[in-house]
Amino acid sequence: MTADLGFWVLQTLNALQLSMLLFLLSVGLTVIFGLMHFVNLAHGSLYAFGAYMAASLAGVLGYWGGFLLAPLAVAALGAVLYFTLIRSQRRAGPMAQVLITFGLIFVAVDATRLIWGDLPIGIAVPAVFEGQLALLGVTYPIYRLFIIALGLAVLAVLTLVLTRTQVGAMIRAGVDNDQMAACLGINVERMFFLVFVVGCALAGLAGAVAAPVLSVTPDMGLQILIPTLIVIVIGGLGSLKGAVAGSLIFGFVQTFGAVLLPTFNSVLIYALLAAVLVIRPEGLLPAKG
Amino acid sequence: MFAHTPLRLTTLTLLAIGSLAYAFVAGFFGLEILAEIAILAILVIALDLVAGFGGMVSLCHGALMGVGAYAFTVAANEAGLGAFPAMMLAVALSAALAFVIGAICARSIGIYFIMATLAFGQMAYSFVFQSPLFGGDDGLSGAPRPDLTAIGIDLTDSRAFAIYAIAMVALTYLVAAATLRSGLGRSLVGLHHNEKRLRALGLTVWRAKATAFAISGALAGLAGCLAAQHTQYISPGLLSWTVSGEALVVVILGGLGTLVGPIVGAVLFVVLKHEISAITPYWHAIVGLILIAVVMSRANGVFGFVEARMAARKSKPVLQKANADA
Repeated sequence: MTADLGFWVLQTLNALQLSMLLFLLSVGLTVIFGLMHFVNLAHGSLYAFGAYMAASLAGVLGYWGGFLLAPLAVAALGAVLYFTLIRSQRRAGPMAQVLITFGLIFVAVDATRLIWGDLPIGIAVPAVFEGQLALLGVTYPIYRLFIIALGLAVLAVLTLVLTRTQVGAMIRAGVDNDQMAACLGINVERMFFLVFVVGCALAGLAGAVAAPVLSVTPDMGLQILIPTLIVIVIGGLGSLKGAVAGSLIFGFVQTFGAVLLPTFNSVLIYALLAAVLVIRPEGLLPAKG
Repeated sequence: MFAHTPLRLTTLTLLAIGSLAYAFVAGFFGLEILAEIAILAILVIALDLVAGFGGMVSLCHGALMGVGAYAFTVAANEAGLGAFPAMMLAVALSAALAFVIGAICARSIGIYFIMATLAFGQMAYSFVFQSPLFGGDDGLSGAPRPDLTAIGIDLTDSRAFAIYAIAMVALTYLVAAATLRSGLGRSLVGLHHNEKRLRALGLTVWRAKATAFAISGALAGLAGCLAAQHTQYISPGLLSWTVSGEALVVVILGGLGTLVGPIVGAVLFVVLKHEISAITPYWHAIVGLILIAVVMSRANGVFGFVEARMAARKSKPVLQKANADA
C-alpha cells in the first residue's frame, strides 16, 4: 500500500487541500496579529459564519452567489466588530483580547444555533466541479482540486500585493514598526481596518469553500480554531511566509500522520508544536527578524 | 504582594459560613450544585495563583484537572489503590506534568505563553481521547469516593460529600495563600512585575515559574479527583481547552489576582449557569456578553470592583497601602 505511487499522490493532494484551507484562515489571523498585535480567537467563528452564509445563500442564489457574497457578509460583520470591540481593545494586552474574543465565540456559537439550528447543514458541490478527475493514476474529486487552486491563487495575489504594491509596502512597514510608519504619514488606523476586514473576508471565503466538503455545524468554528492557531504559532506570528509554512507543515503532518502513524496521530502535531516552541519560541519564520 | 485585607477575610468568612449553612439545609439538587461550585473554586484558585499573581495565563488547567481525574480513576479502579493513595498519586502526577509544562513554557511570555499552554493542554486531551486505556470518547466510570466510615462519615451521601468538597476548597485556599506568602510566592509576583530584575538578583527564573506552576497543577489535579468522585464518571471533555477557557472566565468575573475573587466568581458562575439554563438553552451567549462587558469595563471582576471601591472610599494613606498590597 505505502509503496504504491497512487497512495502518495492521493495523500499529498489531501494534505495540500487541508493546508490551503488552513492557509486561507491563518493568513488573515496572522497578518492581523502582526500588524495590530491583536489575538482574535473568534476568527474561527467568522469562518463558521462564512460557511453558514454560503449554505443559506446557495439555496437562493446558487453556489456561486454564496461563494461571492459570504466573504462580503463576513467582512461586514468584521467591520462591525472592529468598531465596537476590536479598536478599543487593541492596546489592552493579550489577556483582555483573548477573553473578549473568547466571549465572542460563546455568543457566536449560540447565535448560529439560534438562527440556523443545531443540525448540520450540507450544500452541494457546484455543477462545474462535480465528479472526479484522473490524475497520475488516482482519481480525485475536482472540487478538492479547486480548493487547492483557490488557496494557491489567494497566496499569489497576497504575495503580489504585499511585495509589489504601495499598500503592501505600507502594511509591511506597519508590521515592522507601526509608530514609525505613522510618523512617515501612513494612516495606520485605516490600514488596520483594511487588513482586519480583508482577514475576515478570507475567513469567510474559507468557510464558503469548506461548506460543501465539511458539514456546517455550530461548533465548526471552534474545531478549526486550534489547528489555525497551531499553524500561526509554528509559522511565526505575523508573517505571510510563516502562514504558508505552518499550513503546509500542519496539513502534511496531519494527513500523513493519520495514515502512517494512526496511534500517535493527534499527539504528533502537538508534539511538533511543543518542539517548535522550545527551540524557536517565535515560530519558524517570524515577521520580525 | 498577597495580603489578607479585612475585606478579603470578611468575604472568606461569609463564604465559609454561607456554604456550610447551605450544606445543612439544601436538598439533593442544591447539594450537587454546592459540590460543583467547590470543585470549580479549587480549579480557579489554582489558576489565579499562576495567572493572577505570576502573569502566567494558562489555557491548560482544564487538562491538568482532567489528568488528575483520569489518574485517580485509573489508579483506584485498575491498580486497586485506596481512594486516598490514588488521590495523592493523581495530585503528584498533575504536579509533575505541570512542572514540565511550566519549565518548557518558562521562556515564553504573553500570547506565546497562552498558545504554548494551549498546545500542551490539547496534547493531553488528544492523548486521552485516543488512548484505549482511558476509554476514549466513552470516558471512564466508577471512580470511588473515599471511605471515611471509620470516623462515621459516609461520603456517598451528597451532604457529606458537599461538606468534604468545601473542606477541600479551604485546604486549597490555605495552600495557595501559603505559597504566595512564601519566598516562592514573592518571587512569582516579582517575576510578573519585572523578570529582568529578578534574574539580575540571581533567581533561577525557569525553576521558580515551573515550581509555582507545579503547585497550581497539583491543586488542579485535586479538583480533578473531586470531579471524578462527584459525578463518578469522567470523559475526555474534561481536558478540553474550553474548560480552561471557562476557568479563566470565572477568574476574570471574580477578580484576577485576588485569590478570594475567583471563589466569588465560581459561586456566581455556577448559580447563574443553573438559573439561566433553566430559562434559555443559550446560556453561553449570555456568559459571553457578560464576559465582554466585564473586560471592557476594565473593572477587575466583581470582587476586584468592590475592593477598588472600598479602597477609594478610605483615606489616602490607606489607599496607598491598599495599592501597595495589591
